[in-house]
Amino acid sequence: MITFIPPRLRKPAWTALAGLVFAGAWLVHGGPLWWVSIMAVIATAASTARVYRLGGQDTDDGARAGSRADERQQLISVRSRALGFSLAAVASFIGLTAAIALKAVWWWPFLVILLFMGYGYLFGLGKYGVAEEGTPDDTDADTGHPTRSPVSP
Amino acid sequence: MRNEIREQRRQRGLSQAELAAALGVSRQTVISIESGRYLPSLPLAFTIARFFGLTVDKMFDPDDEEAGL
Repeated sequence: MITFIPPRLRKPAWTALAGLVFAGAWLVHGGPLWWVSIMAVIATAASTARVYRLGGQDTDDGARAGSRADERQQLISVRSRALGFSLAAVASFIGLTAAIALKAVWWWPFLVILLFMGYGYLFGLGKYGVAEEGTPDDTDADTGHPTRSPVSP
Repeated sequence: MRNEIREQRRQRGLSQAELAAALGVSRQTVISIESGRYLPSLPLAFTIARFFGLTVDKMFDPDDEEAGL
């Protein structure tokens, strides 16, 4: 689906979608705080416009916002995400242990987040090529046995 | 890691933006490579070397200590 959206519009589209889902959640929530959904729509519109405008700038941020990042900019983005992932994992672990110590009932969301992170990490290791290094060049690729005698020099 | 990109680019009278467009990367990345803050991937290093009509080892010169030589 995403490939049908022009690169410049991808990040703004995700921003708008996330904001509208968030606003929809407040609308469904209802009650005296229903007006938060209106505020969320306004904030979403402003954020979407800001991301679109940023995507037109000749900067690293602009390249990422405009989905035209080159290898260095993608590397920066990946490193930043990894840092955010690590901080979120530490925060979730602290939250989980604190909730357990305080005998609070809100321990399980932290556990769910940690499980998602753990499985996501393992999925990433598999998807991005861990254990695809192949066999050593002195090992038969079909049998896995050494092709040279272990006693030969 | 030292490199010859800035010198080669200036010899050809190219701006960083023009070189970036030719290489298919951003101007910021050309700046980072020239200053040695970013080491390009092997495919990009070959692209750069071919653009200037040089080999990769002429274009990029590892410091001996850095390269473990």
